[in-house]
Amino acid sequence: MSDIKEPGFKSSETLAALAAVFAGYNDEEKKAQIKKTNGIFELRVKNAEGKEGVWTIDLKSTGSVYKGAAKSKPNVTLIMSDETFQQLAEGKLDGQKAFMTGKLKTKGNMMFATKLDGVLKAAKTKAKL
Amino acid sequence: MSLQGLISGSECAVPFNPLSQVLKHTEGDRSLQQDRVAGPSSSRLQHLPSTASAPGAERDLALARQFFDGNAPQAGASAFALATQLPHAARPMDVAMRSGPDLGKAWSDIQGRPGLQSQTPRSQAGPQMSSHWATEFSSNSAMSLHGPAQSGSVQHSEYNQSSYMQSSMYRPMTGSGYMYGSSFSSVGTPLQMSDKGKGKEIDFEAAFAEATASFSSQADSGRIVEVEDDVGDLADTLQDTNLAEQDGAQSEAEQYATDFQHMWDQLQNSEVPPPQEDMTKWEAQFNQLMNSQRDNEENFSEYGDFARQVWNEDQSNYDFTTSESRVEFTNEGLPILGPYTFEKDNRHLDPSTSGRSHLQAAKDLLEQNGSLSEVSLLLEAAIQKGELGEGGYESWIMLGEVKSMDEHEDAAMRALTEGTRRAEEAGAAGQGMLSLAISYTNESFERASHTMLLQWLKARFPDYHISEEAWKSLSGAGWHSHERVTEAFLGLARVQYSGGEMDPDVQIALGVLFYASSDFDRAKDCFEAALAVRPKDYLLWNRLGSSLSNGSKPEEALGAYREALQLRPTYTRAIYNVGVACLNIGAHKEAAEHMLGALAMQEVSGGAKSDQLWYTLRRVFQSMGRQDLADMAKATTDVEAFRREGFDF
Repeated sequence: MSDIKEPGFKSSETLAALAAVFAGYNDEEKKAQIKKTNGIFELRVKNAEGKEGVWTIDLKSTGSVYKGAAKSKPNVTLIMSDETFQQLAEGKLDGQKAFMTGKLKTKGNMMFATKLDGVLKAAKTKAKL
Repeated sequence: MSLQGLISGSECAVPFNPLSQVLKHTEGDRSLQQDRVAGPSSSRLQHLPSTASAPGAERDLALARQFFDGNAPQAGASAFALATQLPHAARPMDVAMRSGPDLGKAWSDIQGRPGLQSQTPRSQAGPQMSSHWATEFSSNSAMSLHGPAQSGSVQHSEYNQSSYMQSSMYRPMTGSGYMYGSSFSSVGTPLQMSDKGKGKEIDFEAAFAEATASFSSQADSGRIVEVEDDVGDLADTLQDTNLAEQDGAQSEAEQYATDFQHMWDQLQNSEVPPPQEDMTKWEAQFNQLMNSQRDNEENFSEYGDFARQVWNEDQSNYDFTTSESRVEFTNEGLPILGPYTFEKDNRHLDPSTSGRSHLQAAKDLLEQNGSLSEVSLLLEAAIQKGELGEGGYESWIMLGEVKSMDEHEDAAMRALTEGTRRAEEAGAAGQGMLSLAISYTNESFERASHTMLLQWLKARFPDYHISEEAWKSLSGAGWHSHERVTEAFLGLARVQYSGGEMDPDVQIALGVLFYASSDFDRAKDCFEAALAVRPKDYLLWNRLGSSLSNGSKPEEALGAYREALQLRPTYTRAIYNVGVACLNIGAHKEAAEHMLGALAMQEVSGGAKSDQLWYTLRRVFQSMGRQDLADMAKATTDVEAFRREGFDF
């Protein structure tokens, strides 16, 4: 899991946390999560220095997060900045809005990308109303 | 010499301060427009210092001051600033200047040299003008009392129009400024020769006072006929003065700069309310602008809808999902959940206990701070026996709310969906909707939450008009409906506020909306406002805590949770939230103990244990690096087993 982190990418920490969450699921929960999402996200994140990092969230077969391009064909590839990813993860930016304003670009199934919001939310344990 | 200055003059102020440019522009537009719209004679008086009402709008002054400050270090800037400012205060003078025929010429001269205007040596122009005014004034007021103002109005508006059309950023505002400069520079206007001689400084002041006095004495009636004559006269006078003066202006300039500084200070210090008309017009324009922007946004959301439509079509023939258990949604984003599943082996269903009303028992138990799991079992029994309470929905809604408090969100949503549906049938629409909206928010069903809140708003405040757009937005993108629904609630909150009342429920709804968009500071404010009215509402304390916790203030959140738990020690959700706050602070052991405590409480009452609690407990153990404990943490494990691991709960 620690190999997910990449210096200079804040988003890599969120992804590492997400990976930890996935690893923490028991089989049943993992299945539920996979059913709910059922797809593969490939993330191409550009940081402030212009470097690009690639991660994959697989919620189709394995239910895991790993660094590098998707091993099987992703449902959607999301291209965005490190900052945009952080905002998405924190819920400060809505995925659709980010897309409309050009902060987020997609390849593949565009509307599947909207599911990323829900997936990222799992990364942080939130208090409830 | 002055032409020389015009061409190679120092690059002062204006073009190098784009921001002040913009401000100036706006401000300039206003006053100019007003002149045109309001007509020459009536509004004119407002701008004169001596007339009681409103000489020189305060806003004008503020803007000018800003401009002024920004350029202070540059030589001559002050003089220029005054030159632009003065027209408001002392229009008769500038009017007199403008009416001269050489002005027109100067103007076209300037026009012919783009870019030069801004470099007009203002340090000279301004002061020069002052002397101009002085002379002009004495002669003008001698000639005719009313003349200048009237001709001014006419001339001025004409001039405005032309400069307006140039549509250059600073022209409308600086126009008057460099006009002086130009008239001066093209003809050359040293003032020494004029009849007033050396005492210009005093003269100017005196002339100014004289002029303003003459203005205040003016009646409103039009004197168009006179105007023509005046213009001719003025032109002549101008010509005279212009011809008379030649050199020496330059040296005088410095001297006058200080006079202007003085005048300027006076102007600045005068307390003048901004003309009401200006304000309203500005506001109207602003609103217009905002609305046009909003329209754009609408187009955006339409695009979103379109994308959604395309997607839906796409989805039907591209089956990337194989699951049947995927949650389906209605058009308004409401999740379609199955019916409520009752607990098996509910001991309250035992016929031997049927002597008593289960609903009443549940209410009593809730009142006495009893176990929430126990309460929900009683309620289930009541429902299964057909004891539905008031309107046939009371038991359902109560069950939903208790389930939510007991950290069973899914069950809560199902019960509340049933309850709100029954309430609507019974003509009590709105009951339970707020609770359901909150459950939706917790489960990240944003659009469902918006829909429910808006429906609640309609049911609760039938007289409050909800815009068509808000309803339409519900079938659009989540962020769009969020904006619309928030707008609707804010509108109501404002109406209530202006009526001197504050509805805690409306504040709660607003709090939920802000919470959903991660605007935790504002959510906190809303819940605090509601708490001011209902200080004993433990649900509200928990909501406040949760807003603080998710807003990255877990330490502060603990205080709010403590309040909630003091009022209701068995409040499972608050305990869970305390655990989450501990986890986020890094106090893992405490976090685990809180989770275990909540689980133990549920176990004692024999109800179902919350999956959410187990799941979070597992995360805590993982954060501690205790995978062995994480593996243990599942619904089949006895909570007591963890006591042996050293957890005290």
